[in-house]
Parts: sequence; structure tokens; C-alpha cells
Amino acid sequence: MKFIGRKTLYSLIIGASAIAYTAIPSLGASEPAATDPPFPTSQRLSPSQYKQTIADIFGESIKVSGRFEPEQRDRGLLAVGARTTNVTDSGFQAYDEIAREVTAQVVDLKHRSAIIGCTPKSDNRRDDSCARAFFTRVGPLLYRRPLTRDEIGNAVQAAGLGADKLKDFYAGVRLSLEGMLISPEFLLRFKKMEPDPANPGQERINAYSKAAALSYFLWNSTPDQDLLEAAKNGSLNNRAGLELQVNRLLASPRAADGVRAFFADFLGFSEFEHVSKEAAFFPNYTATIKQQAQEQTLRTISDHVVNQHGDYRDLFTTPNTFLTLDLASLYGVPLVDTTDNGQPQRWIKYTYPQGDARSGILSQASFTSLWSPSGRTSPTSRGKALRELLLCQIVPAPPGNVEFKFVEDTTNPKLKTTRDRITAHRSEAMCAGCHKLTDPQGLALENFDSSGQLRSKENGVAIDASGEFDGVKFSGTYEFLQAVRNHKQVTTCVAQRAFEYETGYTPPRNDPRWTKVQESFAASKYDVLELLRQIALSDLSYSSPSKTTTASR
Amino acid sequence: MRSDRTYGPAARILSRVALLAAVVLPSVLSATPAAAETRGYVISWFATAVNTRDFATDCPLAAKDNKTAADALGPARKDTAMVDGKPVPTSSYPAAVQKDPDIETIKGKFAYGFDLGGPAKNKFVDPDTGGKVDNQLWRAIGCHSNFARRPPPEMPYSEALGWNAMLDSAPGWVMQISGADLSHDGPVTVTLDRALRHVERDARGGVRNNVTYIIDPATRSHNELSGEIKRGVLNITSGVIFMVADLPFYTQVDLANAHIRMNSDNDGSLEGYWGGHADWHAWMYLYTARPAASDPVGFYWALRKLADADPDPATGQNRRISTTWRMQAVPAFLANVDGKVLATASSEPLGSPSQAAAALP
Repeated sequence: MKFIGRKTLYSLIIGASAIAYTAIPSLGASEPAATDPPFPTSQRLSPSQYKQTIADIFGESIKVSGRFEPEQRDRGLLAVGARTTNVTDSGFQAYDEIAREVTAQVVDLKHRSAIIGCTPKSDNRRDDSCARAFFTRVGPLLYRRPLTRDEIGNAVQAAGLGADKLKDFYAGVRLSLEGMLISPEFLLRFKKMEPDPANPGQERINAYSKAAALSYFLWNSTPDQDLLEAAKNGSLNNRAGLELQVNRLLASPRAADGVRAFFADFLGFSEFEHVSKEAAFFPNYTATIKQQAQEQTLRTISDHVVNQHGDYRDLFTTPNTFLTLDLASLYGVPLVDTTDNGQPQRWIKYTYPQGDARSGILSQASFTSLWSPSGRTSPTSRGKALRELLLCQIVPAPPGNVEFKFVEDTTNPKLKTTRDRITAHRSEAMCAGCHKLTDPQGLALENFDSSGQLRSKENGVAIDASGEFDGVKFSGTYEFLQAVRNHKQVTTCVAQRAFEYETGYTPPRNDPRWTKVQESFAASKYDVLELLRQIALSDLSYSSPSKTTTASR
Repeated sequence: MRSDRTYGPAARILSRVALLAAVVLPSVLSATPAAAETRGYVISWFATAVNTRDFATDCPLAAKDNKTAADALGPARKDTAMVDGKPVPTSSYPAAVQKDPDIETIKGKFAYGFDLGGPAKNKFVDPDTGGKVDNQLWRAIGCHSNFARRPPPEMPYSEALGWNAMLDSAPGWVMQISGADLSHDGPVTVTLDRALRHVERDARGGVRNNVTYIIDPATRSHNELSGEIKRGVLNITSGVIFMVADLPFYTQVDLANAHIRMNSDNDGSLEGYWGGHADWHAWMYLYTARPAASDPVGFYWALRKLADADPDPATGQNRRISTTWRMQAVPAFLANVDGKVLATASSEPLGSPSQAAAALP
């Protein structure tokens, strides 16, 4: 068969199978009848969730390459934006290209026997029995629910049609599998509701939807067999069964994946895509550093939260972190790495002296460089990010006619430091109000230049990092970090964001179920895993949004 | 050509023994108090110290026209070499070429380097310091297109290729400077070693500062020299340097009568020159291995004639030649294999700021 013929056939089968998968009602044989709620309850898989899901189902050696459609941040979180964004034409094309790459690896000579799990009678023609066994096993992991008989039948039929036309069993399986990977049932997570037998007239979340929600919340990946089994046997619908699964998921080392995914979203790391630094000013800030800066913070958090069960607030002052040779050079500290020449740099645990300005996650380049322009610092950007991301506050946008002449002129001999320039800028009445909100905490981090490198002077003048943050005076960076640690909103904000990350909705403040989540978080001395556990166990997380307060900007 | 300067094998062994004694004895006897401050650096740039500012003056024949240059410098010559009556490749057997091609050598006045005690007729003038300079290697090779017409601090083309190809894999060279107070002039001890790991690059493709390197515990590339910081400039006026390298054009640096002069920049980095007497046969080997980048036959005969140190007792032929390399180094932390940090990376210049400023040309 000529290439054009193959390509045309390929498109026809993929299109047909994708439509077929999409059009089929998602009612499993053992799945209770579910209804579509009258509000948006789908959530697009994030790129990291897509990759982890593929790895979990097909193995770590299956590489996911290609560029995903950009994510949209809504109310501070990509996870919220993922509930309201559609898949565009170009985004669908990107998914198709990624799916082709994935399926090509699944059926290649290196992987086929391990992943397909059965050997066809002949490589050159269809084998419905083998194809059925494969799709019956893999289908529920992809769709996060049992497949209907028709869905399995369609998958087998598509694989057989492809095998007949291409005279290749594996090519047929590949085509059919690709159809599943571009199906909305895979790309989107649906929150299906069903009648609640315990409360006639009311609805509850379908057990498979609950299993998927739990798994992506706590592991950032698709439900495993245990979780799907708990959904199937109904135990997820009762408190004991739910608690058993939540505790199991949180006790697993894979909870670190969930924690990392949440904090990467919470801290706005997707914005690193837009970060660049002037190499002439910041030669140590490389593309590698951009990646390592994020990884440093996620490792710091993961170790503190998952391994140590540490107090969330201490993340702002902890002297403990992890560094590579490159990061250590950025921060100006020695790091002994005895890795053999030619090997990748290692991550090495590092502890700063107590009270060091480089303590905590706010002093790391993942914050200081992320919220700085390419050639200079911006205390305003850093301060705004701190209030919005970590305190869940809202900082008004600047007016359209704002004058930046003072802050952008770094050569003014009378305004040598950023503090000088921003003070001059603030002298304009229209600017003063908002800058009072943002600048004090941004100026407290002026000891870190735009690349995150520690500095004591700017243009030869010693940096003054003192100030006052919401009524607390501080004399320097470390005291400021302590003030952040002790700010009452740091804990309420992370709790709110974790709930929004899981549900897409802002928790209702006066709801006793939300109060219980927060009280449990406090009682655990702000153990983030306990926070996640309480959210995962709370009825509030599985209520329809009409019974909660919709998040407001 | 003979020279009074002698660096025969016995002298070399003696110098290595002396060096070993210098390294070991102080630690055994604890006679020398520990330095109050030690700063670390990694070599970030290293190449033959070229200096062509006026090609017509330096190389008048080659400057006339391209044909003359080709005749004078190799590409158009028809050299032949015979071994045991059979023709052999000239680049592999430059000594077997039947006639010295007598390539054009530098006639100009300026070259970088140091006064190594050579005869007055050989002297260049250093463009930076105005001091006398012995640099016969530059005289021999400076008219070749690989080296000529490159204003400092450019690398010769072939060396740049090798440097950039190997920078990410060849173990780096590191340098410690120890003294009572490096922010002021005074005596210092300079230690040169090989690192266990290659240097790390920065966003401009240069060498990243403030990285921590582990010093290779093997002592073969360990050198300890005495010097001083004077007006913000690091100076060493005698010593032996031997360092193994993994660079295509330099498998080793082997300098007798070694001199170092490095200026300190405001960001703490160093730049300057290392010079001394190098084994010209070793240098030849590196270039003859890549004949396309050089004129092996012309270089061989020029180096043989211009070599100015270490005469062979039997033949009188000098085995070493005065040379200079341009070096740069950026601040680095240095540690031993046990994890002890031996030197810190400092962004401060050597000597006091006023002293450093005064030293600028």
C-alpha cells in the first residue's frame, strides 16, 4: 500500500474510532446510571498528568514528546482553568501528534510483547482475541472507568480493520489505541453525578469520577487497579472505604507526585515559560537553571511536606534545601559533588546556617527570578506575586497610563538602588496606594537580583532590606521571611488553593465542613498531607458547585 | 644555537623533588602558619598569546600579497621528506625534510610574555607592561594565518576549535591563591591543580563562576608556587608548572622557568599570562598531529632554530623554547575529595581597589 493510501486509511480509522468512542454513552455494565449535571464538570488533563498517566499505564520508557496546548490559569490555578478551557483545533492536532508518537512506541519491537500482553496468531492479520484482551485491560485505565461492551467491541473492530488493511496486527492496534488517546474520555476527566440512594432526590458523585478525582489530586495520575476496584465494589461511596483509599494513596511515595503537581501550580511555575534574563547581566542564569530552580523548590517542599511532615509555615524559613552545582554557583555557596566527570549533576541536600537570608522557598530562584524582569528586579512584581499566590489576596492592576520612567532608569546617578527608584515612583499619588500593598515585601527580597543571585550592594550602595509587612517590622530578609511564616493568611490560603485545585470551586467560608478541614489542618500543625487528606475525605469536595460558593476574583 | 639556561632531566627531577619538599615539608613540620585567606579559581580561557596589531611590520613578506604569503608560510611549498630512501609524509616527518623551508618569522617589536633571561637580541617588548620579553615560540609561528591577524584576546583558530570542543568534557584546571589578606598586596602561595570534573558553562557559552570543583588527588598536576600581589597584580617569577590536559592542542602544560602575571578584574576574575620555557618537540607533536591547521615542516625548522633554552648536552640543540599563554580564570570554590572546602569563590579583586586600578595599563 502506498504511503498516501496508508495515511488516508489512518485518518479515516482514527477519526471514526475517536467519534465512536466519544459518541458512546459512558455507561459501564457495572456502573450505576449517571447523569450529566447542568454545569461544566470536565477537566482537561494537564501535560504533567498526561505524561504520568501514559507512564503509569504503558511504562516509564514510553516517552511523551511534543508540545501541548497552552494551559489557562484561572483564579490563580491552572487546575481551575483546565475546567473551563476547551480543546482548540490546533490543540487537538497536538494531541493527535502526541498520540501517534506514544502508540508507535507501544507497538514497536522493544515494547509490544510486554505492553500488549498477548501474542497474535499472526503478525500480518487481525487477532480479535488478543486485541480484545489488550483493550479490556488497558481501556479502564485510560478512561478511568470500565469500558462498555460496545466500546471494547469498537476498539477491537477498529484494530481489526486496521490490521486487515495494513496487513499488520500491531498497526491495527496502534490505530485503535490512538483513537482512544484522542478521545475526550481520555483527555478530559468528567465529574459524573448519580442519584444518591441515601438521600432520595439528591445526587452524589459517581464512584469512578471520585476515584479519578482522588487519584489525580493525590498522585497526579490515573487511578490504579485498587482504586478502580474500590469504585467498582462501591466502597468508595462509604466513609470507611473512602478513608481506606485516601490513607493508602497518601501513604504511598507517589503522594510526592501529587504534592509536587499542586505546588507547581500553586506557585505559578508555568510562568517560567516566559522568563528570560539578560545574559550580559546574569550569565549564570541558563535554561538549565530555570528548570533546576523549579525542581529545587519542589524537592524542598516534597521533602518537608511528604518526608518530614513538617509545618507548612516553616517552608518560608527552612534552612534545608537541595542544590546542584549550577544552583549552588548561582547562590554563591560551595557544594561538594563527587559525581564522575561527564555524569549529570546530582541533587545534594544542603543546609544554610540558621537565619541565612537564603532560607525558605521565597528566597529561591523559583520565586525571585520568576517574578523579576529580564534585566532588573521588580519589588512590585515580587510583592504582588506573594500577596496573590501565597496569601490569596487581590492586588489591583496598574492603571493604563502609569509612568515607569523612574523604575526603568537604572542609570540615574541620584537613584542608585531599586528602593530609591521605587520610592520616587511611589511619590506619584496615583501609584502610591497599590505600591504600599506590594513594595515592602518586594524590597525585603532586594538582596536577590533578577536571576536570584545573592547580592549585598546595588550600584555600589548597600541594599536596605528592612521594612514593615502587614504591621510587622523587620530589619532584613530573614526577619521578613519569619513575618511571612507567621502571617495568618499563609495557612488559610494554601488550604483554599488546595481545595480549589481539587474541586475547581472556592470553599464556602461558613460551611462547617470547610471549618473542619481548616481546624484539622491547624491541629496537625499545618501538615500539608493532613490538609490533603481532609479535603479528599470531605463531603464538600464531592458536592455539586451549586451548593458551594463559586470562586470570585 | 646554545643557551646558558639549563633544564636537563636531572634539573627537572631536582625541581620536582624541590617542589615535593615544598609541598610536604610545611605540612609535616607545621613550620608555616596556615594562610588567612584562600581564594579559588578555575581556568576559563587558555591559548597561545597571540599579538598581531600590525601585520605588515610583523610579517613584511607575507603582507606583500597572498602568493608571497603562501610561498613563505607553507601552502604553496613542495616539501619532500625521505626516510631510508623512501618518501614519507612531510607532516609526520618534518625532520626528514631535505631543506629548511625557512618560513618567515616575526620581525615586529611586540609580544606578550616575560623576561626569561634570554639574549638581548631576542627580546620583544610586552605591549602591556613595556618590559622585555622572551617569546621565541611566537616569533617562530606568529606569521602563520592560524596565529596572525588576530588581535588579543582572540584564540588561534585551531586552538579555539579544540577548546570549545573539549570544554564540556575535559577536567578543568584550578588555582588557589593563599595569603594573609588578599585584599591587599603581599606575598602569596599559588597552587595549581587539575579538577575531577569539567568546567560548567554560563548563558554566554563562557565558563560559569562560583562553581565548586573537587581537586584531583593525584599529584601529577599539582604545582605550588610562591609569588606576590603587587599593585593588584599577581606575579610569579620562578617555578615549574606541569599540568596534564585533555585538550586536543595541549595534552600537557610543561613550563620551566615559569612566570605568571595576572590582573584582577572587578568581578573577581583574573586575566593575564603564563610563560616560561616549554618543550618545543612536545609542542610540535600537537601541531603535526593536525597538519591542516598549521605548517608542520615550517614550524619544525623555525622552532629548532629559535629554541632558546635547555641545550642537549650531546648535540647542543636547545630543547625548550620561550613561550607565553594567555589565561583567564573565574572565581570558583575548591574542595578536596573528602569534601573539605579549601578555597572560596570571591567576587572581590586581588589587592585593594585603588591598587588594582593603579595597575591597569
